[in-house]
Amino acid sequence: MMTARTITFIDAIQEAISEEMRADDRVFVVGQDVRGAIFPHTAGLVEEFGPERIVDTPIAESGMYGVAFGAAQEGLRPICDFMFGGFTYVTFSEASVTTGQYHFLHGSQRSLPLVITAGVGTGQRLANDHAMSIHGTFAHHPGIKVAMPSTPYDAKGMFKAAIRDNNPVVIPWHMGIMMLKGEVPDLSEDYVVPLGLADVKRAGTDVTVLANSLQLQHALRVAEKLEPEISVEVIDPRSFVPFDLDTVLDSLSKTNRLVVVDEDWESGGFAATVSARVMEQGFDLLDAPVLRVTIPNMPVPGGYMEEYVAPNPERIEAAIRQVCA
Amino acid sequence: MDLTLEQRQLLFTNLTRADVYNQMMYRRMMQGKLIGFYHPAEGGIAPGVGACTFLNQDDNLSPHHRGHGIAHMLCKGIDIKYYLAEHTGKVTGCCKGRSAFHFSFPDHKVYLMSGFIGYNFAPVVGWGWAAKRRAKAQVVMNCSGDGSYGQGRAHEALLMAQNWKLPIIFFCENNGMSIFSTATEMHPMPDIASLADGFGMPSKIVDGQNVFEVAEACLDAIDRARRGDGPTFIEAKTLRFKEHDIGTPDLSGWTERTEQELAQLQERDPVKVATDIVLAEQWLTQDEIEAIRESALKEVAQVEAFADESEIARPPVDELLRAVFAD
Repeated sequence: MMTARTITFIDAIQEAISEEMRADDRVFVVGQDVRGAIFPHTAGLVEEFGPERIVDTPIAESGMYGVAFGAAQEGLRPICDFMFGGFTYVTFSEASVTTGQYHFLHGSQRSLPLVITAGVGTGQRLANDHAMSIHGTFAHHPGIKVAMPSTPYDAKGMFKAAIRDNNPVVIPWHMGIMMLKGEVPDLSEDYVVPLGLADVKRAGTDVTVLANSLQLQHALRVAEKLEPEISVEVIDPRSFVPFDLDTVLDSLSKTNRLVVVDEDWESGGFAATVSARVMEQGFDLLDAPVLRVTIPNMPVPGGYMEEYVAPNPERIEAAIRQVCA
Repeated sequence: MDLTLEQRQLLFTNLTRADVYNQMMYRRMMQGKLIGFYHPAEGGIAPGVGACTFLNQDDNLSPHHRGHGIAHMLCKGIDIKYYLAEHTGKVTGCCKGRSAFHFSFPDHKVYLMSGFIGYNFAPVVGWGWAAKRRAKAQVVMNCSGDGSYGQGRAHEALLMAQNWKLPIIFFCENNGMSIFSTATEMHPMPDIASLADGFGMPSKIVDGQNVFEVAEACLDAIDRARRGDGPTFIEAKTLRFKEHDIGTPDLSGWTERTEQELAQLQERDPVKVATDIVLAEQWLTQDEIEAIRESALKEVAQVEAFADESEIARPPVDELLRAVFAD
């Protein structure tokens, strides 16, 4: 970074979208109440780009996603904003199956450059349909890249990379870190954070913790607290598809212990995939079984239950202590 | 819109070709020479021919799944040999042999197929939206059956098309049946076109057995869309002479359709209807009609030879894995 500024996570997303829209006339946003900006990352966009490029649709997710899906086939580069991640399920056959198979099944003739984004995550006490994660579910469907940023710097760089990617990219953002502040380069500096690269957010030697978004913040806090007794290396996967397993294996060659924190259900999620791959490809590096900190297999409760059902610093600390015991 | 003599002759030629292609597909399925399944179009080939014969190359088309869209695609100028090769699992297939029955001819703006009935209603909104933004008088021909209009996404597409006055023709090929169930049972109103009324969208109902009547209505709707006046709903009332897909019983509800019932439907065979008209109106002679069929048979034989002579696609898994994402 030449010169840096401090901005919020959500403003970093707004900067990424507006800069890419300025640079490329094919980029547009379609969603529900994106003009009025139900979340701040679309604030000010309609004033600059007009309603032809900041497009509100009726509450009709299939038609709304259809605008993005069809326009991408026609050579445009849409960003489809679902508001909340759970709402992607309303048109999941299009967003996952038909989207993921488009390039491959039709003979790899044409690409499908589109971005799906939405707010996700616990912390707002909104309950399952507004709080569920979507990265693991989308990652299950081949043909779709899936990534989720954890810092303002990554948010701006990864959203830019997603918009420039020639494939469908699902890039949710976690509502729990919406106002997180961090350094980003000066406006004059154009940068991207390539998809598919994990990032060591804190170096350590005793145990590796893989965590993302709000849970990355939790993991960093725990690592700080444990510093006198356990040296924790914290890795942010950043991308789930493609997933940078090499960075995790490199870390394990040093720490030999892994805790995967994933704000998703225990069954069939990203954490399970990582655990299986590490066992298959890094078994000899492990001194202890891989532990997962996830959401127990229940619909995410709202109210005051969320804070102890979802992964939290206490559960992460307990897992670290267990894997190091 | 009145058709020219040349347009009428072209429609008859395309109808004959569609008929011969469809018979070939049925025969090959029975011979075990097709991969997957085939949903025969006997009785219902005229709507696709009427809707697609006068589309431009840069118009978008979503073909109907019945007859696997072959009538629609060949009328748009697509070389069907690449689709037959696909349907036989060959390397020369339009999708490199990966897709069984899916078509994709992006140069002709036929982008995709999905096995989900009603899948078309999402992307056509995007094509229409992009066409309107581009403002080059491009139109979207959205063909699907009566069954597809049960999908919520169909109603969403009608809503958005009319909201934004998109250049989309909602072309419903109503053959009265979705698998075994009848349209009269599955829809509360006798005409699917009545859905358009709820959105204030103009609509027209045509005799789907008469290719010329279909084409006239479609040309009007296409012109309207090209002018920027928005979408039109056209319902072509058509028929299905065969079972839903080859191998399933031919039921209406849960009882077999009778020979008598089918014989009555076959009175309105679209080729027979068209032949009677072209002879009565002297648009073509009997000799010319026979020559058109001869030529279609030769064309289809060449298409079959291409597919049969191509190699089976069996790429290694790592090669397939590299094909999942675009560069």
